[in-house]
Amino acid sequence: MKKEFFQVEGLTKKFGGLTAVDHVSFAVHRDEVVGLIGPNGAGKSTLVKIIMGILKPDSGSIRFQGKEIRGKNPWDIVNMGIAGTFQNTRPFRRMPIIANVMVACLAPRGRRRGEWVKRVEAKAKDALEFAGISDLALEPAAHLSHGDLKRLEIARAIATEPELLILDEPFGGLNPVETELLAKSIRRLHRGGRFGRLHSEGMGMIIIEHKLSELMKIVDRVIVLHFGQIIATGTPQEIVENPAVIEAYLGKEGA
Amino acid sequence: MIRDMMGRIYRNFKGEILVLPGRTLALLVGLAIFIAPLLTRDIYILRIITLTSIFAVFAASWDLLSGFVGQLNLGHALFFGVAAYTSAMLNLYLKLPPLLTIPLGAIAAVAAGLAIGIPCLRLKGQYLSLATLAFPIILKGVVYIFKQYTGGELGVSGISRLAGSRLAECYIALLLGVSLCLLIWKITDSKLGLIFHAIREDEIAARASGINTTAYKLLAFCLSGLFAGIAGGFYAHYMRLAGPSMLDVMLSFQAIIWTIFGGIATVYGAVTGVVILFPLMEVMRAFPEIRMLFFAVTIVIVLRFMPEGVAPWFLDRVEKECPRCKERNAFTRRNCRVCRTLLIAGKEVSAGTEGQTGHPTD
Ligand SMILES: Nc1ncnc2c1ncn2[C@@H]1O[C@H](COP(=O)(O)OP(=O)(O)OP(=O)(O)O)[C@@H](O)[C@H]1O
Ligand SMILES: [Mg+2]
Repeated sequence: MKKEFFQVEGLTKKFGGLTAVDHVSFAVHRDEVVGLIGPNGAGKSTLVKIIMGILKPDSGSIRFQGKEIRGKNPWDIVNMGIAGTFQNTRPFRRMPIIANVMVACLAPRGRRRGEWVKRVEAKAKDALEFAGISDLALEPAAHLSHGDLKRLEIARAIATEPELLILDEPFGGLNPVETELLAKSIRRLHRGGRFGRLHSEGMGMIIIEHKLSELMKIVDRVIVLHFGQIIATGTPQEIVENPAVIEAYLGKEGA
Repeated sequence: MIRDMMGRIYRNFKGEILVLPGRTLALLVGLAIFIAPLLTRDIYILRIITLTSIFAVFAASWDLLSGFVGQLNLGHALFFGVAAYTSAMLNLYLKLPPLLTIPLGAIAAVAAGLAIGIPCLRLKGQYLSLATLAFPIILKGVVYIFKQYTGGELGVSGISRLAGSRLAECYIALLLGVSLCLLIWKITDSKLGLIFHAIREDEIAARASGINTTAYKLLAFCLSGLFAGIAGGFYAHYMRLAGPSMLDVMLSFQAIIWTIFGGIATVYGAVTGVVILFPLMEVMRAFPEIRMLFFAVTIVIVLRFMPEGVAPWFLDRVEKECPRCKERNAFTRRNCRVCRTLLIAGKEVSAGTEGQTGHPTD
């Protein structure tokens, strides 16, 4: 039998009395891009932070390539091949953009292919190139616009050459043209190949996004979260026609 | 061959040091300090130079841990004191020579770094600082309890001298001080320094970038302990004494004040702080009534007008950053020395017309 690529089972996270993630189970294959949507406060960001090892879940299991990763340190998870971005961007503010990305290139996974010392900078530059902010390489991160910070997050995540990439609202702060460009890059990243010094055999992806029309163009499958629970999964077409999903979104608008 | 090599060294020297006023000044001050002991054999001046060298390493080692990695250590004297006592006792009881006791003392300080680093890993911000504040106080208590070995309040005395003469001691201290401070600066300027910066800026983001922040923080505690420990053991052999004042809160705060005065998270700022403040305060011993008042007022005034510290303030006056390639340039230049971009305050004119703009005015 084929080994499961990525699988979450019965994941639960409580903040005091609030159950932010409630018995969530789903799987992602390496050859698919999965959209994760849901109204504000549905628990999407909490879910990905748990996967990245930044928050500890109360119960449930997370398996990646046959190994349990729940309870592992964030850096171990990155070095196993899962990288994610933060919705509220977390740059190293007083460091130049290129240095921000070089930090990820210095992680064990970032330099496992013998990419050492001098290549680190070149590799970081390629990641910036891919994210479309290489012309800002020497600016301190504190000077960046919101949209550019989002791209920095992506550059930093792909610098470790992950096999599963999780993007939390990658299009936030980008105008329609930039969104279009980034969407293309994301598809390219998914297919894999060589991007300068970055290699990829194609990566599985989970993308959280509120800009649904853009999201639906690039995902193969959508998971809908509402009050911490999965209320629907299906192809983009099925999801936009699903009455439960429409109600979850409209219910929120009406309130 | 030799002329070739000399030529290359000279060109490097010119390209790396003489082009930047800050570095040139540092070189001149360094040379002056190196020559001074030869001109005046005055014991008092030799003592100031020796102690300045030792404390420069001590302050720089604090900057490495607290300024770069952001682990605010309020008990840095722990490393200094542990190494001083270890060196002194090894020398007194086992008759080991300073050449052995100082490295062994530094190893003890590294062990102390691990001992406080491991419990402190779970702590953040103020909690970490408070815990670090407690350790030297606890150790001081231990020193008083085991009076028969540590000498209690009087300390461990009668240990051997570092070298035959005060002049030799002064030169050893200077050489050691300069090389250790350069080494610390090199560390902060390396890939390792990049990771240290990142941990201070955002520890969670560093973890999410695949950096084992626990290991690197422990490494920072150990490195900081190592350098502070060398300074401590050296100090003990120079003073021929290891006493409880070397574990004092005051000594920990000295390191912080020197570094913030000179410029935190730069290493050269910590050294500048010691080079300015330590001799100044020694001279002020002639006026004991106003010494501390003078000290406090100086610091308040300087930090009011140079909030980043003396060294960064000065560098901002004599050097300009190229808006394009971020290389530093002497304030006298009109064009960046690397990319030729025109350097006009706040404006950036793109390079490319190299023929016309290629000549600096200096
Ligand atoms: N650290 C925390 N402590 C307490 N409650 C939290 C914490 N983080 C998130 N929450 C709560 O958990 C719920 C889920 O938050 P989460 O950020 O995961 O939502 P989201 O789906 O990402 O929303 P958005 O679309 O606005 O980003 C919210 O009600 C939020 O207030
Ligand atoms: Mg969110």
